[in-house]
Amino acid sequence: MTHTQDKSTAMRQGVLIFVYLGILTVLEYFIAVAFDAVPLLVVVALVKAGLVMYYYMHIYRLSEDDGSDEHSYAYKTGTNRLGLWLFLLSDAFVFGGLMVARINLLGMTRPHLNQLLGLGVTAVLLISSFFMNRAETAIAHGDRKTFMTGTFITMILGLLFVIGVVGLEWQLAKIEEVIANRDVVGAVFYMMTGMHAFHVLTGVILLFTVWNKGRKGLYTAEKHWGVEAAAVYWHFVDVVWIFFYPALYLIGKVL
Amino acid sequence: MTNIKPVWRGLFLLVVGALIGYGVGLGLDFAVQKTVSYQAPVAGLFSLLFGAIFFFFGLIGYHGVTKGLVFQVLGTLAGALFVTGIRAAMGLGLWGPFLFTEPAWVLGGLVGALSFLAGVGAVTDWWKWALGEPTSDHHHDEPGWEKYFGVSLDHKVIGIQYTVVALLLISVGGLFALIFRTELAASGLQFLTREFKLFDQNGLQMYNSLMSLHGMIMIVSILLGIAGIMNYVVPLLLGAQDMAFPRMNAFSFWIAVPAAVLLLSSIFLGGFDTGWTGYPPLSVRAPVGMQMFFLGVFVAGWSSILGGLNIIATTLRMRAKGMTAFRMPILVWASVATSLISLTATQLIGLAFQLVMFQRLLGMGFFDPDKGGNPVLFQHLFWFYSHPAVYVFVLPGLGVISELLPVFVRKPLFGYKWVAMSSLGIALVGFLVWAHHMFTSGMNEYLRVPFMYSTLLVAVPTGVKFFSWVATLWKGKIRTPVPMLFVLGGIVVFLMGGLSGPPNATVSTDLHLHDTYFIVGHFHDTIFGGFVFPFFAAIYYWFPKASGRRMNEFWGKVHFWLMTPSFFVLTLGMMRIGLLGMRRRIADYDPALGFDLTHLVLTIAGFLIALSVLIFIINFFHSMKNGEKAEGNVWESRSPEWQVPSPMPMHNYEHEFEVVGEPYDYGLAGSRYVKFANEK
Repeated sequence: MTHTQDKSTAMRQGVLIFVYLGILTVLEYFIAVAFDAVPLLVVVALVKAGLVMYYYMHIYRLSEDDGSDEHSYAYKTGTNRLGLWLFLLSDAFVFGGLMVARINLLGMTRPHLNQLLGLGVTAVLLISSFFMNRAETAIAHGDRKTFMTGTFITMILGLLFVIGVVGLEWQLAKIEEVIANRDVVGAVFYMMTGMHAFHVLTGVILLFTVWNKGRKGLYTAEKHWGVEAAAVYWHFVDVVWIFFYPALYLIGKVL
Repeated sequence: MTNIKPVWRGLFLLVVGALIGYGVGLGLDFAVQKTVSYQAPVAGLFSLLFGAIFFFFGLIGYHGVTKGLVFQVLGTLAGALFVTGIRAAMGLGLWGPFLFTEPAWVLGGLVGALSFLAGVGAVTDWWKWALGEPTSDHHHDEPGWEKYFGVSLDHKVIGIQYTVVALLLISVGGLFALIFRTELAASGLQFLTREFKLFDQNGLQMYNSLMSLHGMIMIVSILLGIAGIMNYVVPLLLGAQDMAFPRMNAFSFWIAVPAAVLLLSSIFLGGFDTGWTGYPPLSVRAPVGMQMFFLGVFVAGWSSILGGLNIIATTLRMRAKGMTAFRMPILVWASVATSLISLTATQLIGLAFQLVMFQRLLGMGFFDPDKGGNPVLFQHLFWFYSHPAVYVFVLPGLGVISELLPVFVRKPLFGYKWVAMSSLGIALVGFLVWAHHMFTSGMNEYLRVPFMYSTLLVAVPTGVKFFSWVATLWKGKIRTPVPMLFVLGGIVVFLMGGLSGPPNATVSTDLHLHDTYFIVGHFHDTIFGGFVFPFFAAIYYWFPKASGRRMNEFWGKVHFWLMTPSFFVLTLGMMRIGLLGMRRRIADYDPALGFDLTHLVLTIAGFLIALSVLIFIINFFHSMKNGEKAEGNVWESRSPEWQVPSPMPMHNYEHEFEVVGEPYDYGLAGSRYVKFANEK
């Protein structure tokens, strides 16, 4: 794999993108509170998703030239990368379907949820994406220590997100009468957050295997497809939340 | 002759296992319910599973599929007991009408399917990867027939596994059809009566279960059938050594096996009466069998999704040198188009069925109007897959037709580029037509006309294909061995399917035709023309490549000449009574309608088709060992796989080839398609 950037530039880029994403998230929140302008929220979400997909998931790598030797690691990684992106495309249809169900069933209304907690878990997931990117960038430049720390922190933040959603938010929502079997509002809320939390959990398991293999020293600057795959998957789960967060917390009137 | 003895041993043990399973089931039922019913559902299910396990044990011993099935049974029990334990802790009821409660069966079924994969060994390498242990890069199968009963990473072995399981499921689905077709032969209820009792269902309920399962079992068998052809042929056409992801390829096949078991288990666990569509609210009220059906489709869906992913990645990354997009064989284009649909849209039927599963399990009100839900939403999600799904079924078949036609006409394929693009065109337009199934559903009326026009638009790329076929046939030197007969039959039958389509797509006529036998006739025409005929053509055509022998030509012709006229009678008869008002999906009809004679003829035609397929299956297995040797280029094809001796060696081409010309330039002097590395 060729790296056009040196390590400090790549690391700085990760920080910069994180700052942009943070600003956009705060902006999104205030747009929702102050204007209730759905089209604007859609634009912000698309910009955020675009930033993550380009700078954190490196979608442009799909069109990189991997040489012509079909048995080289670079070529196989290119094939794996394509396979992973196709899988994500497929998976995106599940979340797209849930989004369609949400729009069809709830329209311009939303469940009564704890705004602070919503913003909190969103921030946790965003920060985890930052550390994931940091870990991947580190191993790509042979920095094992930063890679291990970054992966570990990402994993912990991922667990924190699941605890925040399933452990806290689900309990608080129940108090606010958002109940799965009472009406369709509860059904949609638990289905969307549950499906997403399930994906976060699988991501945590993937990260654990990556961390475990990293501990054994199985990744190098040249060969670390496993890290890249886990990272791309992790960011994908973040992209899903970039759309689910406004869909559940920001748009429409509270029921 | 060495494999004769294991088969008899297996069949003997099958009977023993079925009896033991029945006894175990009765015992368990008695332990829980304190009564014994000899048509007991659970005993039937155990009988099926134990029979299958014992059969494979007798055939190959305790590894491969045998071990997978044992793991599936144990996994199902473990999952079900886990839920039962939780229910005990929560103070809920422990047992249901079918031994376990519904949530216990659902989790058990899921755990069982995953356990199967662990047992058969489809995830072993991935497990090692996760632990950081090394795995062998080159997989090696032992020679002989036993490799087909365990995990192999060779795309050719997997292709044959897919094809044989598809034929098996076609037989099961066909058998179901024969049973309910026999009931329909005369008005009134003959044997599926109210007094009839089997697996806790009366005759009418059994009719519904068989009719519903006929649909879905056939759909799964078609998905496996196209996967079989694509798996075997596409890497050979591309000049690849294997698929891009051989382990995932094996996974995609093996996950379909527990899916089939789950689907079949639904008939034992109370069945279900919704038809293959599973619309709520009916599917919310149906017995536990409904859940097994949903779960089976969900699991089978992953086979289709991952299989499609593999085809796309293989095509994009592993083509031979010089094979630019417009020098790819048409079958490859068609496979990519089909895979794009199965990769993406399949998720929506999975989601739709999942939502109903959760509605049943947890009372979540997605499709319950009382809770603010919307049943029509289910139909949108469902048809978003299930309409494009028919293009998944037929595109590879139409690709096979375009692939074989020039070979037997000895002329270039007419309008190659247009045909190549038409597959993608059908796939893409196919995403925009789903609501034509819902003209009578009560959806917003303004949606009708746009969906009518988008549907009629499908006729344009399909018409391109027909023009190409007719123009290719024009003034050709037509040869008609068996594969070509099926190609021609496929074209004619698909034409009938195509012509009977627009009346269903047009709102004004569809309001009359909806849910009648006209739809059933139209549908069977499209699927026979687009899948069944080309599937048989492909098997007759590539059989020598896989086995080094030819299928018997005479019995192949008998198969064709028996099946084709019977099939015309069947579907034209269906359309006739459909136009006159025969409803689909019902077990009985008013004798005053005057359909008795037609229904009798339809039933006879159905049995004749079954007979022809039986002849095919006997020919298939008989020719494997005893067929006429055919190791060369039997069809005089230009395609690369026929330039090397049959059967294909394990790692495909010994020498790589380069594409140096157009794929279908038959009859043009001096033209060539591929050049092997060892040629001058």
